[in-house]
Formats: sequence, C-alpha cells, structure tokens
Amino acid sequence: MSAPSIAQPASLRAQWNDAVRDVLDLFSNILFAVSLFAVWGVLTLIGVIVDQGKDPSVYFSAYPAGLARLVMRLHFDNVYHSAQYVGIIGLILASLAACTFRRVIPARLPPLRAVKIEHIPLHATILVRGAEGDVRARVERFFSERGWTVRKRELGGVEWTFADKHNWARRGVLVAHTGFVLIAAGTTIYWAKGFSGTTTVISGSTTTIPQTGARIALDRFGYRIDPIETKSGTVYQPIDYVSNVRVTSADGATRAETIRVNHPIDIDGTLVYQATYGFAVTLALTKDGKPVAGPPGRALQEGDGFVVDGTTRAIRYRQFVGTIDRKTGGAAPDPRANDPGVVLDVFDGDQPLGSEVVPFGGKLDLGAGYRVEPLRYTLYSGLQYRYDPGIPLVGIGAFVLLAGLCISFYLLPARLYVRVDPAPGEDAAAARRFAVGLAATTVKGYDIFEERFRDLVNALDGAVNPRDPTPRGDRRPVLGSAAPEPPGAPA
Amino acid sequence: MSLSLDQILILIAISAYITSMLALFTYFLAREPIAKAVGIPFAVIGCATQFVELAVRYETTHVWPLTNLYGSLSLFSAMSVAIFIGFAWRYDVWFLGGFVQALAAGFLAYGLTWNEGTMPAVPALQSYWIKIHVPLVVSAYAAFMVAAVSSLIYLIKYYFGRSLDAPPPSRALQPAHAGAGDAAGTAAQMQIHGATAVTATMREAPGLEAAAAHGSTLAQWLVTLPSLAKLDIMTYRIVAIGLPLLTVGIITGAWWAKEAWGAYWQWDPKETAALTSWIVYAAYMHLHTRSAWRGLRSAWLSILGFITIMFCYLGVNIWISGLHSYKM
Repeated sequence: MSAPSIAQPASLRAQWNDAVRDVLDLFSNILFAVSLFAVWGVLTLIGVIVDQGKDPSVYFSAYPAGLARLVMRLHFDNVYHSAQYVGIIGLILASLAACTFRRVIPARLPPLRAVKIEHIPLHATILVRGAEGDVRARVERFFSERGWTVRKRELGGVEWTFADKHNWARRGVLVAHTGFVLIAAGTTIYWAKGFSGTTTVISGSTTTIPQTGARIALDRFGYRIDPIETKSGTVYQPIDYVSNVRVTSADGATRAETIRVNHPIDIDGTLVYQATYGFAVTLALTKDGKPVAGPPGRALQEGDGFVVDGTTRAIRYRQFVGTIDRKTGGAAPDPRANDPGVVLDVFDGDQPLGSEVVPFGGKLDLGAGYRVEPLRYTLYSGLQYRYDPGIPLVGIGAFVLLAGLCISFYLLPARLYVRVDPAPGEDAAAARRFAVGLAATTVKGYDIFEERFRDLVNALDGAVNPRDPTPRGDRRPVLGSAAPEPPGAPA
Repeated sequence: MSLSLDQILILIAISAYITSMLALFTYFLAREPIAKAVGIPFAVIGCATQFVELAVRYETTHVWPLTNLYGSLSLFSAMSVAIFIGFAWRYDVWFLGGFVQALAAGFLAYGLTWNEGTMPAVPALQSYWIKIHVPLVVSAYAAFMVAAVSSLIYLIKYYFGRSLDAPPPSRALQPAHAGAGDAAGTAAQMQIHGATAVTATMREAPGLEAAAAHGSTLAQWLVTLPSLAKLDIMTYRIVAIGLPLLTVGIITGAWWAKEAWGAYWQWDPKETAALTSWIVYAAYMHLHTRSAWRGLRSAWLSILGFITIMFCYLGVNIWISGLHSYKM
C-alpha cells in the first residue's frame, strides 16, 4: 500500500512561469492585437472629431455640459498625448514584440514528411507515360525551372519530392514589425533629443532660436494674394509667402537665405519653415488730444493688448483688416492691404465692452477723453523651427514597413508534396504509366492558392506529357469535397 | 452654349460610365454575354477619357489638376474604374462592374459640384509631392472602393443564400455547374481538386444549389456568382493592393508635411483619419490570417474600412477644418 500523496502547492517559480506564459499567450494572440488596434483606432477617431488643445470653454460651448465634462475628464481634449493613447501604443508594441518572437520567428514550413495527398484540399493527380526515373526527372525539372526549391526524401519506402516557393517570405511579417519598431524608435529619439518651436520676427528685426543660439534677421517679408474669379464669385487665393532673411549660425557665419512654404532652410541641423505671417500694428493713445502712456513701445501682434494707464480699460488688437468695406464699416473679402484697418476689442476689467474696426488714420473713442489710433503696420513672418534627429530612423522604418507589407502580401510561401506511383492497374515492377500526385499547402490557407495551383498543374501536365496522343479527357477542374486535414497529416 | 474640350470629355466619360453601368448591371443580373461585351469597352472608354480630361486640364491651365476636391474626385473615379478593369481582366469579375461604374459616375458627378474653375494652388500645395502623394492616396481609396464592392457582393450572396430554404430532399438534384461533375470515373488523365470551404461563413449556403435545382430564380441567380471563398479572396487581393498604396501615401504625405509644415505628423484630422483607416485595414489583413475571420466578418470589416475611407476623404475635407481642407 503506498502512502497517501499530498498535493504540493506549485512552487512560486512555477506559478511565475505560468503567469508569464499566460501574459505572453495573451499578448501574442492576434485577436488581442486587433482589439488593441480597435481601441487605438477609436481613440484616434475621437481626436479627429473632438477639437484638440482648445480652451475648456470651447468644449462647454460646443457640447452639452455633461459631454464637455467627459471630454475634459478623459483628456479627449488632448487625446494624442494622453496616458491612455501612449499606453495603447505601448501595449501594441508589446503585443507586436510578443507576436514576433512567439509566432512569426518560430513559424516555419511544415517538416518534410509523408502526407495523405487526397486529404489535403488542394490536390491533383496526373498520369504520365515513361520510365519511372524519367518521369521523376521531368517533374523535378519542371519545378526547378519555375523557381521552386526541390528536395527529395525517402519516407516509409516511398520517394517524396517536396517543392517550396517563397519560403523566406514568411519573414515578411517580421520585416513589417521591424519597420514599425524603427518608426517608434525614431519618434522616441525626437522626444528625447529633438525640439521644435515657433517664433515671429517683424521686418527689420531679429529673432533667436533659443536651443541653438542661431539668429534670424528678417530683411523683408512679402506675400502674394491673387483675386481669382470662380463660379461662386471672387476668391482671394494665397500664392506665395516669402521671408528674405540673414541667418547667423552658431559659429558666427552669416548668410542670406530665402524661406518659402515647402522650402525650409537648414541652420546647424535645425530646419526653419515658413509657417504664418501677420501685421504688427503700432497704436497711439491720447487723452484730450495729448499723447499718454499705455501702448507698449513695440508694435503689437494679433492678440496683444495693453491697459490704459489710470483706468480699468484695456485694449486688445484682435485682427488686421486688409480692406475695409466703407459701406458697412466692416472687413471686405480682399485681405490685401488696400484700405487697411484693425479690429480692436475694448474691455473694462475682464468685461468686454465691444469691438470696432478702426481704419489707419481713424480714431476710436474710449470715453473720458481717451482715444486710440492705429498709426502704422509692419509685416511680420511666423517661422517654425524643428530639430529632429529621429527623422532618418523614421524614414528607414517606413521603408522597411512597406517592404514587409509587400513581402507579406505579394509573396505566398507554398509547399508542394509530390509522389510518383505506378498508375492504377500497372504492374509496379514494369509500369510504363505513372500517377503523379500533388498536394499544396500555403501559410494563407488553400483558397488563395487554388487558381495558381490549377495553372501549375495544367502547366505540369503540359510539360510532362508533351506528345502524349492519349486524349486527356475531361480537364475541367473538379472541386473536391474531402474534409480538409491539417497539412502534414501522416500517410 | 459652347462647351470646352474639358467639359466635352467629362460628358463623354460620364455617359460612358452610365452606359457601362447599365450593361454590367445587366450582366450581373442576367449573365448575358452581350451585356458584358458592351460594358467592358464603355468602361475602358470612360476611364481613358477621364485620364485624357485630366491631362487636357493640366495642359490648358498649367495647374496640377489635383489641388481641389473636384480634381481628386475625378482621379478617384478614374482610378476606381482602372483598378476594377485590371482586376476584372485578371480574375474575370466583370459582374462587379455595374456597382463600380455607378459609384464612379456618382463620384465624378459629385466632384463636378465642387468645380469652381481654375484656381492656382495655395503655397502649401506648390510642391512636387502633390504629384506623388495625392495619386497614391486616391488610388488607395479607389482600391478600397472596389474591395468594398466585392465585399458587398459577398454579403448579398451570403445573406440571400442563407435566406433560402432547402427543398424537400426527395427530389433528385443536378449539379449547379453544368459539366462540373466528378470526373473520377471517366478516362480523365488529370484531376484537380480545389480548396474546400473551411469555415462556416465561407461555405456556400446549404440549400442554395438545391433551391436552384428546385427552380428558385433567386437561387439560380446566386449560383452564377463566384463562390463565397472566391469573393473573399478577391476582396483580400484588392485590399492587399490598397493597403500598401495607403501606406506609401501616408509616408509620402508625412515627408511632404515635414517639408511644408515642419513636422511629419501633426495629428491633423486628415492624418489621423487616414491612420484610422490604415488601422482598420491592417486589422483586416491580420484577421484574414485566421480562418474563423475569413468570409463574413472580413466582408463587414472591408465595408467598415471603406466607411472610414469615405470619412477620411470627404468627411474631413468638407466638414472638418484642418491643414487638409482643400475643397476648392
């Protein structure tokens, strides 16, 4: 009688291994990966639908209060930089890594072994006349000449021929995943080492890129806007924005450059782009006709303002108006500076009192003898700068990703199992007619290969029976109804 | 009223598409070879005329004709037909043509409503990238449209087929495909056995062929359509063209954005909508590796993908303001 056994609790190490295996199984599950894709897609779509990076008041004015609160609480106002968005990308990368190492890399063609040809859904039989060795040689030559890798094995006393094509293309998924990782790495390098920013520079002045110390002096900014007659009326179409600048790089060298949209300049590896432009305005403030302090000494850009000294009134320069419609007193559609003015907002403390279009040369009465007058305007150029050391890696990653997709989609790894037997009714020792049996498997199922298999078999038949006078009978393909078995089923 | 060459070509293209649509719909419904013989040349004529029209417009205005919605929709409809013709030629799927031509004509007609005349390109569009990026993404959209049509046919066959009741089993049944009987008992020298259905949604409706033999008009029509497995593979093949095109389109767009705006990715609505579509089709390709997801689910996913494409293409351009709001 044996002693009763007591179930021992699994060791911690075994439990840990089980847990790790479970997690890896989950992360390498393709449905889990696709679920992550779905969440990623939904979050991305939310970012398209919900305006990003706006003031909370924008959401409360655009949506019902409850929905606006939800947007704010779930960080959908800045979803692409939210923890959940970065987290889902992290999970996708983890899933991608798990899939790569547990599914893609171990995936190989099934081992060379005998199969029941008729149990593989894609199969065919061809009758060939000739000596057995000659028939085998013709079959092998046919596949070799068409780029199939032919190998022969004797299994269970039967000589098998195995023909593989595009076996290496199984690595296409690995290549695509590598591209994805390279893109992620390139983006990470930018986050770690890159920088970007925007700056504005008024004609005749200089701006500095703070991270590099490079200086950009704007000699002149020019724009071209053409009136175009369309079926709906006149449209003022921007044609060109040009900044003529003098650039002083970190080593002190100065050179003249022209910055246009689509034509950034390179200053010590930092690219500088034409981004926006605008009109800086100089305002004068008077009380009872005499100048008083208030406006800053510099020209104001859109959004800038000042407080009228000794009062609670504040003035904000909201917008430049190129052409004032003298009939309505408002802005005309022509944005060019023909009859220019400015839109000024007037506040009392935080309370807006109103807005007014004020032409250059005109004055806005603020009450109590105060008047504000736009004196002159100067064009300024809005520039964007960016240093991104991750760009080459992102570019390589994109190329690798694309190559991986093409390999995966267009090259189909396939295996043919071929055996040559005496035809039914032939004596095995003196057979002159042989049945060439073929079966095909691929990594993407059978349906995708059916047409090519049919073409291949027809071509093989033509190649190995070139001058056979026997009628070939009904050549129409016959759809099989055999229940499919996994490839490699034992013979 | 005198028409310009450009307008005459557009009229010819739309007329050819409508004629082709009617003929190929007839072929779809009645399998009349004459309908196919009429539909194919008109599809080719419409497509070729559209490409000529785009070239004429460029030659006469010296403005690249893809800077607005009218131009891109013109290319979209032309590419849809071109991709369809290519696939139909290769895989003999002309029965899809009525749907494709209808959509092509519809999109072209809709594009005409955005035609405001010749306008020079805004500075951001004055780049050689427009000649690379826009045709690539528009071609991708076109491929996905053809894939969606293929999926639609799949769904039609699947649901109509499933709706048929099997007839009483006592009736002797004939094979649906004349002459496709098993040749094993004949003197045939060669037999080829095709792939068998491996999933429930790829299997033909059990009562379909029987109902066809029983005299059901719907069933007799449905059996003339390619098998569900073939339709599924067809959709897969077209998506396999569209997804790399979309990938290259996104990559070239990112490269262009880097030159124009200083960042290859700015989470602009167009970029993110394109990413959403890419994710849907990447999911499609991943799920298609699993037999359980081939067939019905894949067909629905392809339809969903095309909805995201339409949102990315038209929804973002028309309703959402951003860096890609090039309507006129």
